[in-house]
Amino acid sequence: MSRILLKAIALGAVAGMIAGLFGVGGGVIVVPGLVLWLALAQREASGTSTATIVASSAAAMATFGVSGSVDWRAAGLILVGSVVGAWIGAWIAERVNERVLAVAFALILAIAGIRMVL
Amino acid sequence: MLEVVGLVVLGLVAGIVAAALGLGGGIVFVPVLVVIFGFDQHIAQGTSLAVIFPTAIIATLAHARMGNVRWRLAIPIGLAGIVGAVVGANVALQLNEDLLRRLFGFFLIMLAVRMVWHAWRINGRSEPTPDPS
Repeated sequence: MSRILLKAIALGAVAGMIAGLFGVGGGVIVVPGLVLWLALAQREASGTSTATIVASSAAAMATFGVSGSVDWRAAGLILVGSVVGAWIGAWIAERVNERVLAVAFALILAIAGIRMVL
Repeated sequence: MLEVVGLVVLGLVAGIVAAALGLGGGIVFVPVLVVIFGFDQHIAQGTSLAVIFPTAIIATLAHARMGNVRWRLAIPIGLAGIVGAVVGANVALQLNEDLLRRLFGFFLIMLAVRMVWHAWRINGRSEPTPDPS
């Protein structure tokens, strides 16, 4: 097996595990992995990562779904909002300093994280 | 009714953050569902995944149309991802609610530190870095 294929499999396995364990997409692992480890440009890394998340999120969702751990009604409502939100976000991204946005968001994440740990 | 509006607003905010910062929605959905809506950690995670899946399909179609998907990498990563995801999800379902919530909290704190570090590093540069491609 080629070295690249082995790297891809290792990256997918780790990202999938994080996705299943925490109920996230796993892009937080796949994107930096593709950029730093497999030398993809940022834009290609985002696109490729998104395609891999289709597979891993389907598998993780099915596992949670079988055990009755999905609130489908809530998921539908969130989805409606997020489609509109993605459109607004793309508009904002071109007008607001990303650094300010990133630091402000990180602060909120940290507060939520601390609340969940305590 | 209030909950219905709240969930749609959560989606709206997560969608904005995701599109503006290039992040997935999961790190927004799970903590908000747990801390504000009082969801069980497991249900919050399962529900988050049920939103991520259709969102990822739509985003992939858009990226693929622009030629941003390297399928020869995406396919092996995705297949290994399926195995990893089933293992990870089964581990999560075995853990008790308290422990899983705390682990998720640590995960969020680590992400927050990484985001600040990354933003600070970009800030320190005198000129924007060219695209590495």
